[in-house]
Amino acid sequence: MSTTVDQKYKIRTALFMGGYVLVNVAAIFGAFDDMKPPGTWAFALVVAAPVAGHLWALLRWMQDSDEFVRAISAKRFIAATGITMALVSAWGFMEVYAKAPHFPLVMVLPGFWAVWGFTAPFIRTTH
Amino acid sequence: MKNRLKVLRAERNWTQEELGKRVGVSRQAINALETEKHDPSLDLAYRISKEFGTPVETIFTNPYQPS
Repeated sequence: MSTTVDQKYKIRTALFMGGYVLVNVAAIFGAFDDMKPPGTWAFALVVAAPVAGHLWALLRWMQDSDEFVRAISAKRFIAATGITMALVSAWGFMEVYAKAPHFPLVMVLPGFWAVWGFTAPFIRTTH
Repeated sequence: MKNRLKVLRAERNWTQEELGKRVGVSRQAINALETEKHDPSLDLAYRISKEFGTPVETIFTNPYQPS
């Protein structure tokens, strides 16, 4: 049961992240250097789409898993999201009031995964 | 929630993986039930009850029932 669910998640992740890597590698090699607005806006959304796709894959994985995996993952997801939002909000206010260096928004998702990694081992029950 | 899953499983020589397959959940889920890290849904409790052929109350302790 869980094997099929896990395999689906891995395939979906590989597809979405593969697309993400390809687009970014092409950008690094200058494939989109001549692009002008509004094309640049559309391109930015194209780059963001696989990230949203991967989040969808994660939520589908949770939905298709059994009740324990779903409950523990949901708990971890909520904790990681809450902590990430708190940290990003705090940093935002530090930027406004304390002239802290700018934190790019594209780093919020990697930050979320980092927080997930740090918090997940401590969330071991569904109570 | 206190339960007799591990004992009942041992009586039948079933692994966690095997019991998981029988009731349609992962090995991790069975482990979480046995170590009291997860309370089963009513649906899962009934599936487990059917598999062992014994009422839910004889597998999972009702914490609200005075002993």
